[in-house]
Amino acid sequence: MCRGGRMFAPTKTWRRWHRKINVNQKRYALCSALAATALPSLVMAKGHRIEEIPEVPLVVDDKVEGYKKTKEAVVLLKKLKAWGDIKKVYASQRMRAGKGKMRNRRRIQRKGPCIIYNEDNGVTKAFRNIPGVTLQSVSRLDLLKVAPGGHIGRFCIWTEGAFRKLDDLYGTWRKASTKKVNYNLPMHKMTNTDLNRILKSEEVQKALHPSNRKIKRRVLKKNPLKNLGVMIRLNPYAKTVRRRALVANNPDVKAKMLKPKRKRVLKKVKAKKSEAAQA
Amino acid sequence: MAGETEKKVPSVPESLVKRRQRFAIIKAARLKKEKADKKARKVTRKLIFKRAEAYHKEYKMMYRREIRMSRMARKAGNYYVPAEPKLAFVIRIRGINGVSPKVRKVLQLLRLRQIFNGVFVKLNKASINMLRIVEPFIAWGYPNLKSVRELIYKRGFGKIKKQRIGLTDNSLIEKSLGRYGIICVEDLIHEIYTVGKNFKSANNFLWPFKLSTPRGGMKKKTTHFVEGGGAGNREDQINRLVRRMN
Repeated sequence: MCRGGRMFAPTKTWRRWHRKINVNQKRYALCSALAATALPSLVMAKGHRIEEIPEVPLVVDDKVEGYKKTKEAVVLLKKLKAWGDIKKVYASQRMRAGKGKMRNRRRIQRKGPCIIYNEDNGVTKAFRNIPGVTLQSVSRLDLLKVAPGGHIGRFCIWTEGAFRKLDDLYGTWRKASTKKVNYNLPMHKMTNTDLNRILKSEEVQKALHPSNRKIKRRVLKKNPLKNLGVMIRLNPYAKTVRRRALVANNPDVKAKMLKPKRKRVLKKVKAKKSEAAQA
Repeated sequence: MAGETEKKVPSVPESLVKRRQRFAIIKAARLKKEKADKKARKVTRKLIFKRAEAYHKEYKMMYRREIRMSRMARKAGNYYVPAEPKLAFVIRIRGINGVSPKVRKVLQLLRLRQIFNGVFVKLNKASINMLRIVEPFIAWGYPNLKSVRELIYKRGFGKIKKQRIGLTDNSLIEKSLGRYGIICVEDLIHEIYTVGKNFKSANNFLWPFKLSTPRGGMKKKTTHFVEGGGAGNREDQINRLVRRMN
């Protein structure tokens, strides 16, 4: 039979599921996420196959909002060269790893492009059966869809109407938003983001000291008592000491040193004699 | 018209031109400094030679002085009492375990944290009493010139920026002890041997000497030298021990 008792801290439905976030923070996050969708490097980094699309951000005619058939939607995506992203979604369809399988979360797949429209004249119905595609209305953008998993840079396809509405919704720095009360885009942290040019500018370079690329490596200590070269480097007088010692102890060396000295002495005497004669 | 606008676009980008100009200035300054350094180095090298020569003479005079004094005294039927030694070389001969706290502290103060570590110590009432406290753990005595020279040349390492750096060049010594007038190894040896005004700085600059185990062995380190063992003050005989350990 099984053991008795109940589990520790039985899970309750009245767990606090929701979290309160400040409105401004929510809008800041959305603005940042939307800005990221406009940078091709970030979108590619997220994994979307956008190598061949005509432009980032990708804006399409308002006619798309009127599509009724999925076949039309597929043709559009293929013409825009965005079908590669959908193919990637197909390739990623797999079974979830883990207990989620038996908790109604059996199948998983990648996220594909996000279509953002202004008016729904059938877009939703046309695109919704294509795997990976998410549909969103501009006026009710969802951060969880613009930056799924908290990762910025989702591939977004805008319709013209939707793209134009962004100015009214979030404002430009010059004019505030008309659709939101008392809201304007958040201020930049850096006004000039071209780091390369800043670092190479006259002002910065002048303040730097000259670069020292020389790598100083560990010097092997040699014993000066055994190695004459090292000894002389430390103590130049050691050379004369050593020389005197050699002369004193080695008769051959001594003889060598003495011979020319005698000659020199004779020459000096001769010179003196000649001087005396002259005088 | 089109030709003029084309000429206005420079062949080399402006930032590159600026960088080259900046580099030229830096290079000119560097070459000038190198020339000046070379000259200065020549001058110091001559100075080091002269100093070493002077020290050689001084050591000889010191040696002959002792002999002369004792001879003079003996001729007059007197006695010459040589000055008490100012310098000692202390070697730790016992290991790390089972050391009483007072002894442990004094050994730390003497910088003898490892067996067969050696340091030079200036002898005064205070330090002699310290050596007495740790007597059973050390072998010490009065080093002669040869011991001092050989220790510093072979096993001399300096404390440079808290690191143990080998004394491979006089510039290392000059950088640390230049302000005391010690610019080469010979200066350092002189300061240590003739306990000078800046002995403390010079000695502290020297990392404790890591000596080898004595070749040929030690006599029973648990007893005092006087009783036939290895510990304690062995005066001149420390030199023989240093020869075997260096």
